[in-house]
Amino acid sequence: MRNRVREQRTQREMSQAELAAALGVSRQTVISIEGGRYLPSLPLAFTIARFFGLTVDKMFDPDEEAGT
Amino acid sequence: MITFIRPRLRRPLGIALAGTVFAVAWALRGGDAWQLSVAMEVTVLVSAIITYVRAGEDNDDGALAGSRADERQKLLSLRSRALGWNFAMVAAFIGLTVGVAVKATWWWPFLVIFAVAGFGQLLGWSTYTTADEDPADDASPQHEARSPAS
Repeated sequence: MRNRVREQRTQREMSQAELAAALGVSRQTVISIEGGRYLPSLPLAFTIARFFGLTVDKMFDPDEEAGT
Repeated sequence: MITFIRPRLRRPLGIALAGTVFAVAWALRGGDAWQLSVAMEVTVLVSAIITYVRAGEDNDDGALAGSRADERQKLLSLRSRALGWNFAMVAAFIGLTVGVAVKATWWWPFLVIFAVAGFGQLLGWSTYTTADEDPADDASPQHEARSPAS
């Protein structure tokens, strides 16, 4: 599943640590989500989407492989 | 009560407490066992200090040691413990089988491990399972399936 976390974060010129603090998760988890190695829970997916002002389906695309 | 203890101190204190109880058990054994008890207590305290230091590190291990793990780190911990428990079950099964085969007197502790694991799993099912026994809402008379033609 592809996601736009890295894209949205870099657009806002945020570091992974800053995003992690804003979401209430660890920096390692942000790295794992960006790399597509970890699929967040539904509540965390909503938190991420809301943080970037997007809907969950805009943030996470199930039809695309991570890294494509 | 545990919430009054700083997260970083929780696991080190747990290790120190459990280790001390075990060391006291050795001391109560009497004889020369007190020497082993002292050595065990020193080891436990060193382990607690190491855990406290690890808890300050910015990595998954540090987050778990410092009781500040997020959902991914808790899942990692859960999966690791599940794997560890599977290994323990295999070891207990081998021990039980060998114990029975050689007519040993030490086979029953392995059976106790299985019994405790079975009880734990049943408790887990009853605690965490969803209400699968509830009927589906489309099976009730109010939601009776109808053909679009009717």
